Amino acid sequence: MLADVTSWLVWIFPLVSSVFVPLIARAGEKARNAFVIGVTAVTASLALTLIPAASSGEGGAINLVAPWISQAITAGVYIDPLSVLFTCLVGFFGLIIAIYSLGYMKHEENLTRYYFYLLLFIGSMIGLVISDNFLQLFIFWEMVGLCSYSLISFWNNRPESVKAGNKVFIMTRIGDASLLAAVGILYASLNTFSFHGTITAILNGTLPSSTLTVVAFLVLGGAIAKSAQLPLHTWLYSAMEAPTSISALLHAATMVKAGVYLIARFILIAAPMIAVLEGSWLPTVAWIGVLTAFLGATMALYTPDIKGVLAYSTVSQLGFMMAALGTSLAASESLGWFASLFHTMSHAFFEGLGFLLAGGIIHALGTRDMRLMGGLRKAMPVTYALAIIMILTTSGLPPFAAFFSKGLIITSITEEGSLLQVILIYATTAITFAYSLRFVKLIFLGKESEHLQKLHPHEAPKIMLAPAFVLAVACLIWGFLEPWLGSYMGVAEVPSLLSSFVGLETAIFAVILIPAGLLIYAAYWKNYSIMNSLRSASNPLAKLLSHGYFFDDFYEKVVAKGVMLFSRGVKFFEVVFLEIFPMVFANMVIRFAGGVHKYFEAAADQLLTVIAGRTVDSAAKVKTLDSLADRFLDIIARHTLRSASRAEGSSSSLQHYLAAALLGFIVLVILLIISVGV
Amino acid sequence: MSYILLSVLLLPTIAVPLVYLVGRKSAKWAAILLALISLVSLGLILTTVHAILGPDHRYMETYTWIPVLNSQFALFVDGISISMAIITMVLMLAAALYSINYMQGKKNLEIFYALLTLLLVGLVGVFITSNLLFFYFCWELMLVPAFFIVGNWGYRDSYKASFKFFVFTHAGAVFVLLGIGAIYMTTHSIDLFQAERLLLTQSPDIVRWILLALTAGFAVKMAIFPVHLWLPDAYSESPAPMSALLGGVLTSAGAYAIIRISMETVFPVVMGTQFGTDFLHGLAIFGVISAFFGSFIALAETDLKRIISYSSISHMGYILFGVSLFYTSAGALIQVAVAGTVLHIVTHGLSKGLFFLSAGSLMNSLSLRNIRDMGGIAGKMPITGTASATAAFSIGGAPPFACFISEFFIFMGAFQMIPLDGFYIWPTALMLVATVLSLGYSLRFMSNVFLGPSKLGEIKKKSLEVPRFMLLAMIILTVFVIIIGIYPSLFMNLINTVTFL
Repeated sequence: MLADVTSWLVWIFPLVSSVFVPLIARAGEKARNAFVIGVTAVTASLALTLIPAASSGEGGAINLVAPWISQAITAGVYIDPLSVLFTCLVGFFGLIIAIYSLGYMKHEENLTRYYFYLLLFIGSMIGLVISDNFLQLFIFWEMVGLCSYSLISFWNNRPESVKAGNKVFIMTRIGDASLLAAVGILYASLNTFSFHGTITAILNGTLPSSTLTVVAFLVLGGAIAKSAQLPLHTWLYSAMEAPTSISALLHAATMVKAGVYLIARFILIAAPMIAVLEGSWLPTVAWIGVLTAFLGATMALYTPDIKGVLAYSTVSQLGFMMAALGTSLAASESLGWFASLFHTMSHAFFEGLGFLLAGGIIHALGTRDMRLMGGLRKAMPVTYALAIIMILTTSGLPPFAAFFSKGLIITSITEEGSLLQVILIYATTAITFAYSLRFVKLIFLGKESEHLQKLHPHEAPKIMLAPAFVLAVACLIWGFLEPWLGSYMGVAEVPSLLSSFVGLETAIFAVILIPAGLLIYAAYWKNYSIMNSLRSASNPLAKLLSHGYFFDDFYEKVVAKGVMLFSRGVKFFEVVFLEIFPMVFANMVIRFAGGVHKYFEAAADQLLTVIAGRTVDSAAKVKTLDSLADRFLDIIARHTLRSASRAEGSSSSLQHYLAAALLGFIVLVILLIISVGV
Repeated sequence: MSYILLSVLLLPTIAVPLVYLVGRKSAKWAAILLALISLVSLGLILTTVHAILGPDHRYMETYTWIPVLNSQFALFVDGISISMAIITMVLMLAAALYSINYMQGKKNLEIFYALLTLLLVGLVGVFITSNLLFFYFCWELMLVPAFFIVGNWGYRDSYKASFKFFVFTHAGAVFVLLGIGAIYMTTHSIDLFQAERLLLTQSPDIVRWILLALTAGFAVKMAIFPVHLWLPDAYSESPAPMSALLGGVLTSAGAYAIIRISMETVFPVVMGTQFGTDFLHGLAIFGVISAFFGSFIALAETDLKRIISYSSISHMGYILFGVSLFYTSAGALIQVAVAGTVLHIVTHGLSKGLFFLSAGSLMNSLSLRNIRDMGGIAGKMPITGTASATAAFSIGGAPPFACFISEFFIFMGAFQMIPLDGFYIWPTALMLVATVLSLGYSLRFMSNVFLGPSKLGEIKKKSLEVPRFMLLAMIILTVFVIIIGIYPSLFMNLINTVTFL
């Protein structure tokens, strides 16, 4: 069967090819670029060939394994509509970004490294979504983090890039630790990593429901960090230091979508026991999603960074996806689950488009600060037109893709969520429209700024516009593919296209977009004092927004600084208490011993002097003893002489003893050797 | 009967004077000879693999030795020993090749290489003998050449560092000797496997002291907090190839000895008692403390080699934590923990060796030690940069590099333990936090040394890359680290044959 081969090749091929990039680069830049385009094109077409295989799976997934670490721990691929959907997304975007990079990164150095990591990134992400077990998924999960680190800090002589890369890696690592715990607990209770085994165990009810709840929350922890949800969303804004092409890839297909995939996959796996998760886990997912969507959108209102708007927009849209997942109750039959995946795709198209356009603008203007832009519509008309499509899709206006997907999400939240969630999500939709309009207003409308007049910007080259154009078309038609996708994903009840157009949501949409439009009109076209004061930097609300609700300040100034301070404290402890203190102690002992020694020596000296003096004194006094002493000395001398002559004799006999002992020893050794039996 | 293991042992022994003599003519050829010896030993020991994968799971050679002491001179390899022996030889090969360029111009190199060969004898002896007396002999034999190499060819205040190293590890060795003596006194056997059987008949009240003495002695070699004090000085002051061997295999020998003697031979006696459980909990606590202590100081340290040294302490903490997961309180073996821990000794050894070699290359090219003075040299030293990144991310626990997979399996063991023994919840949670810290100091190392703006001033030279033998050594280890990371079965199949029972 074709799928047997392609499902392995689709991730192994880009991974292996990445290693050849440095080798082929020796043949020249052109060869390298052609190679990369070729690899991504092949990967994309391999991904597409999987589509029929997944739909012919008849509800069950195709699961292929190969021996890996041991007999029980295998490597494998898992082909079902969910994994194939993501595989196609990644394959498609890999190709788009590779083509775009040809233009965008044209004048950069070290492109061999760039393309190496690009292929590795694509391969790892496909590997992540196509894995059939948690171990393999986790490995690729980490590798995606490693690749994004390398690509975000691609311009590695800029300190900001390096710092951003480190931040991304560390923050997502916190989530990875959580996911590791989840995988560990599952493995400990089921003794398998494979999805298939886990599903079987859950079906048979061998997994205690308390364990499943713990695992679910830990999985959520992993997804929160990877998909930039509250409270770990701040890395996504910092990741804007990456080349824009990488940002597009990161937002549209790889990295942040991994969290959505994980939750979607986990809901599928836990489907038979989803009732256990209904109580606390699913509402938590929904709330995190809704809050992230809302806060992300508000932050997008304020940032002056052109990529910052898009970054916060992604945070917000990912919130939509999570919220939808949180409101999916009956797993794959559910609307929310499907809505989330549907929106994942539409978000990929419009956000990817946004980044590709932003890349062209940054290319032309050399700045990311929107305050320096304005009036760009004349210089870059094609970009302007595409940007209009982008913001219309982002805001969810018909007939663009996000209208359908957001409509489904809102329907799902209305059905399952609480009233506050519904209100917040509608508010978010309004704010989305507001920041989208602001985006266009600041960049394209109005008078040409001074910065622009100096530069004479030009339209982006064709090689950068072509991928953007493809995405714009996708934005336009994706929404109409909803029924087809619904049947492909095996979702039974998807509202028909017509009802989406005339339903309640459309009406509410229209109503809420009016205040949003008014808001933006008031804020940017008219010079109302209340709006100006809101926008002035001293306003507390403005401060809150410009600092991103102080999340980052907390992480950088409290957590990171705290850890570093504590490390220095530990080092100080080591140096003082473990290095210096014992040394000082030892020195003290030595000095003390020296002092005692000196003291005793002096005392002994004195004592001797005193005794000697006394003796001399008394000897002088007692003159009568003089002669006696003379005679005594005589006797001693005679005795000494005699004993000396005797000692001579005994020393000669000592030699005899020594010789005898040596002989005896030799005999002993000989005996020993004989007994040993050499 | 074959003489494979005997020749593995005798080959370097005989080669010691040979290397010395060759070294007097040309230091380079002495190094190549040493590399060849390691390579041949590696080849020899690999021939026993099929026996280990066979039904016996063990390959043994027995010779008669001192019959008065009722002692047989037994050499053996099983899954654990052979893994240790393999990394010893690979690292010795890399160190010898690396030294060709790195030690160029130093004095008395013939003695340097002869001492390295002697060190190889000691290391191989420790890993392949089951005779405790000979084990102790080799244990001390590792120490003596290491002392002279660190002292004589080291940096800065090297004799002080080397003296500290000697005093600490020798004090540890006294405990080891006490333990071995006590084993002989109670069982009248100095063979590991006989003693294992005979000790089981002894009272746990006596054996617990043997266990404590031996573990304390080995822990010094492993540099567990608070007896780690010798390590940072010894590692950072010694020449790079010696640092690689110290970090890669000498501390690993301590870990090996804890697994082989403390856990496999002595521990079963106290298994199931309250003391046994407490002992394992104690190991876990010391492991966690070491892991945290090492990571934190590595985060604060600015000296290139001291960062790596402290990361060694941290990783020895991981290993000790893994060792504490071997047996449940009921006495069952957790196979995943054993596999993970032993694999971690292997992967950490190779990664740490690579890390020290790349640090040596940096010092060789830049003549700098403080990471704050470096920066932005990734483009000037692409191969050293790749090697460092491989080592740093392996140590930081990122796939597809080797340490990730072993750490992962240690954690799998921990999660199997938690439902059986609630004590392990907090140590495991803390170790998970420690993985974040490990990544933190690895990233700090990479971004300070290789990335960011250069603080070196104008560099005129186009490339700062080191000479080719140093590159070759680093490439060998890099390839190993990546291959094991992708396909751990290379060692996993060997290690999984170990059942301890």
